[in-house]
Amino acid sequence: MSSNALETELTRRRLLQFLGALGITSVSGATLAGLEATIREARAQAAPGSVMPKLQAMSPNWPDMIEIWRQATRDYAELGLEVEVQQGTLDTWVAQVVGEHKLPHLVSMSWGGAPDRMDPDFFLNEILNSKRAVKGGLNYGHYMNPAYDEVANAQRVEVDEAKRRQLVMEAQAISAKDNPLMVLFHRDIIQAYNKAKFGGVTPIIGNGIGFPYAPLSYLGLEALTPRKVVKITSIYDIASLNPFLTPEVYNSSVLRQIYATFVTRDKDANIMPWSLESWTLVDPTTMDLTLRPGQTFHDGKPVTVEDVKFTFDYILKWKFPALARVVDSVKSAEITGDNTVRLKLNQPYAAFVPNVLGFAFIAPKHVWEQVPGNSGLASPADWPNDQPVGSGPWKYVEWRKGEYLNLAAHKEFFMPPKLDGLVLLPVPAIENQIGMMERGEADLFGWTMDVTQGKRLGQNPDIEIVQTPTHGMHEIRFNLAMAPMDNPALRLALQHATDRKKYLDIIFSGAGTLANNTMITPVLKQWSNPDVPNPEPSIDKARQVLKDAGFTWDGNGKLKLPS
Amino acid sequence: MMFWRYAGRRLVQTVVTLFLLLTIMFVMFRLIPGDPTTMLLGTGELPPEAQQQLRAAWGLDRPMWEQYLSYLANLARGDLGLSLYFRRPVMEIVLPMLGNTLILMAPILVIALAVGIWAGAYLGWHRGERVEQIGSLIALLPRALPIFWIAILLLMLFSYRLGWFPIGGMREQFFYPETWIQALPGYDLVMHLTLPVIAGAIYFISDPLMITRTAMLEVRGEDYMQFARAQGLSNRRLRQIARRNAFLPVLTYIAIMVGFALGGQVLLEYVFSWPGMGRLMVNSVAQRDYPVAQATFFLMAAVVIVLNFIVDLLYGWLDPRIVYD
Repeated sequence: MSSNALETELTRRRLLQFLGALGITSVSGATLAGLEATIREARAQAAPGSVMPKLQAMSPNWPDMIEIWRQATRDYAELGLEVEVQQGTLDTWVAQVVGEHKLPHLVSMSWGGAPDRMDPDFFLNEILNSKRAVKGGLNYGHYMNPAYDEVANAQRVEVDEAKRRQLVMEAQAISAKDNPLMVLFHRDIIQAYNKAKFGGVTPIIGNGIGFPYAPLSYLGLEALTPRKVVKITSIYDIASLNPFLTPEVYNSSVLRQIYATFVTRDKDANIMPWSLESWTLVDPTTMDLTLRPGQTFHDGKPVTVEDVKFTFDYILKWKFPALARVVDSVKSAEITGDNTVRLKLNQPYAAFVPNVLGFAFIAPKHVWEQVPGNSGLASPADWPNDQPVGSGPWKYVEWRKGEYLNLAAHKEFFMPPKLDGLVLLPVPAIENQIGMMERGEADLFGWTMDVTQGKRLGQNPDIEIVQTPTHGMHEIRFNLAMAPMDNPALRLALQHATDRKKYLDIIFSGAGTLANNTMITPVLKQWSNPDVPNPEPSIDKARQVLKDAGFTWDGNGKLKLPS
Repeated sequence: MMFWRYAGRRLVQTVVTLFLLLTIMFVMFRLIPGDPTTMLLGTGELPPEAQQQLRAAWGLDRPMWEQYLSYLANLARGDLGLSLYFRRPVMEIVLPMLGNTLILMAPILVIALAVGIWAGAYLGWHRGERVEQIGSLIALLPRALPIFWIAILLLMLFSYRLGWFPIGGMREQFFYPETWIQALPGYDLVMHLTLPVIAGAIYFISDPLMITRTAMLEVRGEDYMQFARAQGLSNRRLRQIARRNAFLPVLTYIAIMVGFALGGQVLLEYVFSWPGMGRLMVNSVAQRDYPVAQATFFLMAAVVIVLNFIVDLLYGWLDPRIVYD
């Protein structure tokens, strides 16, 4: 090789090195450029009386979302309306839409059934309250209605349950009239377990049989073979063993198997006592907690009111972002008796019991009072907590990142697990999880699959498929801050043009609950407003609505804006 | 002395490249919108106010140049920082995954290189013969197939259908040997390793094979080969000479291949649920875990660059005709 050729070779190689180093970021770059163009396109507005500009939509690149848009674009085309869909990975979607509120006309998303979303406050306030129309808030559709805000805020501080229910119904009625979003359906959770090896499986609303959201789902499990340890799959691994660190749902749910919360939910989603024996609202901002006697931490030390007070003081002192709801709502905690603690709240909070007492946990004082000590850490949230000590039904044994988390039964728990242990296996590919179920390498499918996968897996005589309704939802959000989506007639017409039943049947083989025109699933009967059904699916009705609002069509059937 | 001047110059170049790389990594990851706190927003569990607080705590609200300077300063002290997602030192996250990836990739590389170079030299030597025509075609086949496809096929056949090998992962939890074969040390790991290694080896074999073959073809026509043949050297000896001369481009390729191997193979690891670097890289980018993302990408690129540096120095020793100026 001549020195010239060598030079060429070196240049080429350097270029290769460069490209290799940028491999993944350049892909993201392309997606981003696409998103930017989508928004530019969406901002280009048409003059009154001219043909409607193409509606731009943004969606995560999940198969079910893509399929929803495939159906929707076809339906909307019948109105003479063109929709162009841009897909992105979930992380770019979140950064753009939630983080920056940079979105085009339409955006689609699905919300999982996290336990705190059982309470109507999450969907009513986080998604539609105008105070959440700031960057980072979930009201990225910029729905602003003072009348709605008033009712949504009022239900949040109304501690009388009957009165609150009235307000929750009213809030749903107001938003249903304004159509700031289209709620499509609440997809069922489809899971599986090995019935030859395990029994006592109890499906729980919103949790099914295998998500770790609700601790009850693992407590009833019984082994039918000598192996008393159940292996559960999940697509995620946890990030940390520190319960103060992350607000991420999966991680905190798993840690709440180790760190018992104050209350929890039973299989019908009713609140049930857990570490607490009872609680009483003395007045709207004072609550007495009575600790269940006889509990112990995993290191054998008793759980006392000292630990309860310490936990609240600790959270208030360090203001852990992961426990923001506690920090926002609790003012102070005082010991009032051998087994009682009195909490003072900043303001009345109707969802306090499920969403604060159901999320906060008891931390052992004797462990955490020494953290961070002189470790040089900025916050106890940075403490690795390699040997977590909690008082929950399962105690920590071993965590091997990316491979498994091994937990053992805490037999002294007041409702002791019937098994000896559980192993959580992070398996990123659903197909592998199904394969592991089929081969007996896993006993419980801890994620959700679709109906066809369930049917196939169900042919195995050892496998039982379980389908559970959830409060999670699929939606298409309108960007009300961008013309022409600010036109209520157009939004109503799109509602009419969307045949939810058809979508649910095609995409999920009908496995789900059709939504009302509200984010709260009809399955949660006490909260869902049955009087706000979705506008009837009918292209004719949709056309009529548009016609009445002054929209016209050109010779080619294209929709024209009102002049 | 020419060599030392050349080596010095290449060393400086290498260091500058590494430094530029660091900088580009730093900038590139921050060009993607969002940060780790934004990712948490998506779950709705972190209100925007708490997000601000987290950003301040993690130093993400400081100007970029300030973050860059403190990153360099920490790096100079050998401190790669805390993973934003795990809140643990970066090396603590990266090293176990690197180990897992090496367990997976080392056999793949050894098999692919050994078989690939041997077969490539053989085919190149037998240019124009039937074995070369058919062999080259077969050799090109795996290159045209995506690695995940090969992997899925193997999984379907040997795991799902025949049930010979586990579906995925690296170890089985609570593995109790039932026969003496299963009681052999490392049995469980080998069972988990077999399919991904076969898939990787099939996929990786084409490149060294085709490069060796082409290099062999070129060398075969060189004057010195004619001369050697005219001298009446044995066929075996001729092949030896040709092989040695054909090795240079292969060596360059090996340097690049090893670098990418260290980065793990995302798709391979995904299909077989292997807990390695590839998965870590993708996840750390998706989670905007800058310190981990930077460390993993840098590690991979640095291996390529350093190995190339070494290969460049080796060139002169392997091929005395190369003149350093």
